[in-house]
Amino acid sequence: MDGLHSFENDKSSFWKKNSKAVPGRPSPKKEVQRISRTKTVGPASYHEFQASISDAWAVEDDDFCLTSGVDSTKISKKVSQSAALNVLNVHRTFEAPVHHCENVNLSVQEKNVTHVKNKFPGRPRPLPSSTNTLDKNTESKLERFETLLANTPTIDELAQLSWSGVPQKVRPIIWRLLAGYLPINQERRQTILERKRQDYWNLVQQYYDTERDEASQDTYHQIHIDVPRMNPSVALFQQETVQKMFERILFIWAIRHPASGYVQGINDLVTPFFVVFLQEFIPNNEPFETFSLNTLHQDKLDIIEADSFWCLSKFLDAIQDNYVFAQLGIQQKVNQLKELIQRVDNNLHCHLMQHNIDYLQFSFRWLNNLLTRELPLRCTIRLWDTYLAEGDSFASFQLYVCAAFLLYWRDMLLLETDFQGLMLLLQNLPTQDWRSSNIDMVVAEAYRLKVMFADAPNHLQNNRNPR
Amino acid sequence: MSTRDDEYDYLFKVVLIGDSGVGKSNLLARFTRNEFNLESKSTIGVEFATRSIQVDGKTIKAQIWDTAGQERYRAITAAYYRGAVGALLVYDIAKHLTYENVERWLRELRDHADQNIVIMLVGNKSDLRHLRAVLTDEAKAFAEKNGLSFIETSALDSTNVDNAFQNILTEIYRIVSQKQIRDPPEGDTIRPQNVEPIDVKPTMNTDSVRKQCCQ
Repeated sequence: MDGLHSFENDKSSFWKKNSKAVPGRPSPKKEVQRISRTKTVGPASYHEFQASISDAWAVEDDDFCLTSGVDSTKISKKVSQSAALNVLNVHRTFEAPVHHCENVNLSVQEKNVTHVKNKFPGRPRPLPSSTNTLDKNTESKLERFETLLANTPTIDELAQLSWSGVPQKVRPIIWRLLAGYLPINQERRQTILERKRQDYWNLVQQYYDTERDEASQDTYHQIHIDVPRMNPSVALFQQETVQKMFERILFIWAIRHPASGYVQGINDLVTPFFVVFLQEFIPNNEPFETFSLNTLHQDKLDIIEADSFWCLSKFLDAIQDNYVFAQLGIQQKVNQLKELIQRVDNNLHCHLMQHNIDYLQFSFRWLNNLLTRELPLRCTIRLWDTYLAEGDSFASFQLYVCAAFLLYWRDMLLLETDFQGLMLLLQNLPTQDWRSSNIDMVVAEAYRLKVMFADAPNHLQNNRNPR
Repeated sequence: MSTRDDEYDYLFKVVLIGDSGVGKSNLLARFTRNEFNLESKSTIGVEFATRSIQVDGKTIKAQIWDTAGQERYRAITAAYYRGAVGALLVYDIAKHLTYENVERWLRELRDHADQNIVIMLVGNKSDLRHLRAVLTDEAKAFAEKNGLSFIETSALDSTNVDNAFQNILTEIYRIVSQKQIRDPPEGDTIRPQNVEPIDVKPTMNTDSVRKQCCQ
């Protein structure tokens, strides 16, 4: 534990933009560029968020919202908070796609807050299972994606629409685009794809198919132990063809990233890409869980494998410090999570402290595996729509997702009265029945936390008990 | 947990360590839930489980921390050795390399755990007779030489799993109950309300007696 203490004092680097370059992390400069490109600062980003999370109004309707003066005036934290509450609340209670911005009228936020039962309305609650509504939303969303894809969109437009979830049908192409693997320029796509896929197979030939030195033999050995036991209950992953594909992807990734190498858990991070790219080739919506890969032509298998590799590589670039020696990136985020919860929900924090729960004990796995171990795969895939839409800043956004995830369970956690009960719950959170709507709520809450706290180091600092 | 068995006389923290894939998680699953998975997911960081047993009419609750085997995780898992009064150092009898690495694991414990920690060497997967790569006598001799207790187990067919935990917990209990009579406990650590703080006497030699908390 001693190794961790040094990080606890390192608060400044979290709340403020770190100007120093940290190896393996996205460069601050790059992030700033991205921010300025997407205009995701302050109120404007909230606007984009508002537009992106709700299917209830079309993109053009944003103009209406803009006239409410959000952009022109400096918005106070209180206002942005309650406005965010409103949006979340409105979004949650929407039963049909109605085009009304009045529901989120920012000027009446005080009044609206009163019908929020929970003081943290972003906190996900069980949703009504009105599947009809969902289907309609999905359909209209799919149309919007297809329209967008038909004209050459910008990455920002894609990210904005994708943040709140991508329909399965367009997910493979959207993920490739968002990961920065597939170029936006349609003319270049085929050439680039062919070249990248060939590059991958050259790497395989160069590193995997040849004799391995001792260090890479260790890496191979570890991967070889882990791959067969990744998803023991899913038939798909028991197929030798699939396991070989995973082994090659992970091995090549590890060889190309010597600072971290393969770390247990990264294998779980291949799965969403693999499944999404596989689904592209599964006919008639057959369930992937029982699909036999031997029925697919080799060309298609090669595409799935190469694309999974490249998208995984792009995805992990932003969080490589999670996997370097001593896993410093994770240790730092664990401390940031602790600090954040202390500020957002001091009751919960004190409860955990009182029972000697160390954040590292439960959140390490959350961060190391990006919640893949805590969520059903369908939810992980939905969560990654948002992560990929976040681009490089998903590394920091991930922290807020973990915070929102923890806060979701606060009531259950507060009922536990000893260390054992708390730890068993925290390591076995009952998410079996979760659907993508639960993820919608978690990421919305995460966004709210990020807006409220990331750039506001003193927010709630003197008000440790906001309830 | 509503079915919490929080009536206990002693609470001992025990860690499971050893190379990746030797069956640590399955030993824990077999002991605490009587479960076994031929392919169980790799442990990320640490995982926690608990079970109570009876020794001399006393209820002993074991709080067991299962750690990830991969080297990269050492920096994280070492943090969990603190406060542990027992360690099961597991190797796979069918994989000689996992036995060779036992020395490295002992060094880990020396560096990060309390020096009085009770260590048991566990040769797991004893059901794989036809694949045996580590002789029982060899491991036993090594254990004796290093002052460790020794047992061979099979989480798959349950052989000796309960015994392994029972033995180490009993050994800790013996040390603790003797110590408790000799020395009043020190109150420098946080402990459950209904448990007396206890100290562990040095396992083998008595050259230095260090206080230790069991939580």
